[in-house]
Amino acid sequence: MRRFEWTAALAAAAMVLLAGCGGQLAGGGGGTSSAPIVVDLIGTFSGQNADLGSWAWNGVKLAIDGANAKGGVNGRKITLQKYDDQGQPTVGTDLAQRAISDRATMVYGSDLSTVSLAMIPTLTSAKIPQITSGQAPAILAQGSSFIFLDSTTSAVFDQTLADYLVQKQHITSIAMVSNNDAYGKGEHDSFLAELTKLAVTPTVDKVVTPDQKDFTSVLTEVRATNPKALFIGAEEVETGLIAKQARSLGITATFTGGAPMGTPTYLQTAGADVAEGTIMTSPYLDNDANAKTRAFAAAYRKAYGQDPELHGAKAYDGMNVFIAAMRKAQPDLGGQRLVDAVRAIEYDGLLGHFKYDERGLGLHATQIGTIKAGKVTPI
Amino acid sequence: MIGLAQTIVGGLSMGAVYALVAMGFAIVYRTIGLVNFAHADVVMIGAYVTVTFYLTARLPFGVSLALAVGLTAVMGLAMERVLRPLEGRDLDLMLIGTIGFGIVLESVAILVWGSFGTAVPTPIPNVPLHVGGVIVTTYQLLVVAVSAVVMVVLFLFLDRTRLGTAMQAAAMDRVAATAMGVDVGAANALAFAIGSAIAAVAGALVGPLLYVSPGMGASIGIKGFAAAILGGFGSIPGAIVGGLIFGLIEAFSSGPLSAYADLITFVVFALAMMVRQTGIFGERTGDRA
Repeated sequence: MRRFEWTAALAAAAMVLLAGCGGQLAGGGGGTSSAPIVVDLIGTFSGQNADLGSWAWNGVKLAIDGANAKGGVNGRKITLQKYDDQGQPTVGTDLAQRAISDRATMVYGSDLSTVSLAMIPTLTSAKIPQITSGQAPAILAQGSSFIFLDSTTSAVFDQTLADYLVQKQHITSIAMVSNNDAYGKGEHDSFLAELTKLAVTPTVDKVVTPDQKDFTSVLTEVRATNPKALFIGAEEVETGLIAKQARSLGITATFTGGAPMGTPTYLQTAGADVAEGTIMTSPYLDNDANAKTRAFAAAYRKAYGQDPELHGAKAYDGMNVFIAAMRKAQPDLGGQRLVDAVRAIEYDGLLGHFKYDERGLGLHATQIGTIKAGKVTPI
Repeated sequence: MIGLAQTIVGGLSMGAVYALVAMGFAIVYRTIGLVNFAHADVVMIGAYVTVTFYLTARLPFGVSLALAVGLTAVMGLAMERVLRPLEGRDLDLMLIGTIGFGIVLESVAILVWGSFGTAVPTPIPNVPLHVGGVIVTTYQLLVVAVSAVVMVVLFLFLDRTRLGTAMQAAAMDRVAATAMGVDVGAANALAFAIGSAIAAVAGALVGPLLYVSPGMGASIGIKGFAAAILGGFGSIPGAIVGGLIFGLIEAFSSGPLSAYADLITFVVFALAMMVRQTGIFGERTGDRA
């Protein structure tokens, strides 16, 4: 009799435990429950590119706070968790594993193409949708149906930029300096391909490392070719350092490049006098562009006490695309359903019109801007 | 030809900074026989303190530099004081202690200044001067000039003053030096203070050339350390020559294949060490038992 009581008690305990686990399982990634939806933001919050992480956080959080204030996704709140990948691919993959154990519905990250690339296999095999601030064409070339870009690729950026420089400004004497991480390589390959299409050969084409700080040797070679424009394909701080050192070596070329040049970090690193006249391509150049950007900028200033820039804006757009997709896919937010929903919707954001294709590219156009009196201005 | 001269100019200005870092390593090594692995992070702290006084408190650059030198010298004294119980007993433990100090300094920097870095404008208008087709910037000249002054002063101090000789004596034979009335503890403390002060000068000078961040010590420190070994570890003239040569090797290797500059630099360094294991100036300090 006593043995029977013990067995019954154990069986009851096991049932309670199982029921608990069941609830837990349903609460995670794909389930249909009223538990909060977990979004993991894996960003670069330390090191030279730390600004990127904090901008992404600001944009994503603003979008999620806005959605939660309106009742979340059909009554389910969205919770945002923050992880620092330190700009290291190995840390990034480790955090991707963490996202699996967090039962994250989706991952926002990372800010660097190199880290984003490293995370793709882990997240894709776990069917966790991933949206990244990275722009390297290599990200889309992975062929994963779970990866999305929150803006556009270097191919689109550099086509717009090369067309503007060569066809509108008739500048054909262009030198190139880019770094050899995934972003820099993407910028290099895309810009060079566009120049080749336009029958322009760069006066010199130099590659540096992402951690390099002294560019004297490379810039000496650039100076010897006396280019009209210097294309820089690197992240914000490195781009600023290259521009600053180029001017101090007497290079008078116009600096030109991608979205990093439209950020306050570039302006501050290079110095306002050096950055003046820089020509860049970016899908978000102006907080006063329209009613939507003005409203976003006002909310951003209220929340963080600073002006938004491209990275905060695109993170806000990217997260809002996913929130809209969650609303469409609910009550089942499983990975496959969610990515199908992202591809099924269209979204008019701060950066433009988003319509995601099979590869994960949603935004297909960008603009040209310049730095005038220390301020990024659309052309 | 102009390209060659330009590369030499660039190499020498970075080389001057490496020489300063190498001298800091060398002075502690020649006095105590210890490799101070926290040295690279003292360079970083020196850079940050200078930048804070210069950009935040808006003091003149020279004053900021002097304050940073004073502060890091005190930090060097504190470091020596903590490690003093191990002096003359177990150099391995002291060495591990310096690694620990390095980690602490980096963490403190992240706490105080954040994990991201800051760009520093040059303290003097950075005008490119054309010298026979070669461009020399005014700030490069300042870096080389300040480094040269520090090198000469330190060399004269160690070579021509009683205190400098006493430090050398303490290094050569601890017991005999004590018997002759040399305060070995004080000599060691002074070595740490001087090494740290020079590190601050290197950090302050390199800030506007490069970028100030909590991790900056790692890249500059390893090159300064390699420069000290190249010159002959423990030798002050060796540190100077080693630093300049290291700057030049780096400049030349980053020209043709800049994406592999560090690789080429350290391969050349390794080859040089295989040919001459004791470094250029050999080792001048004697028994350190």
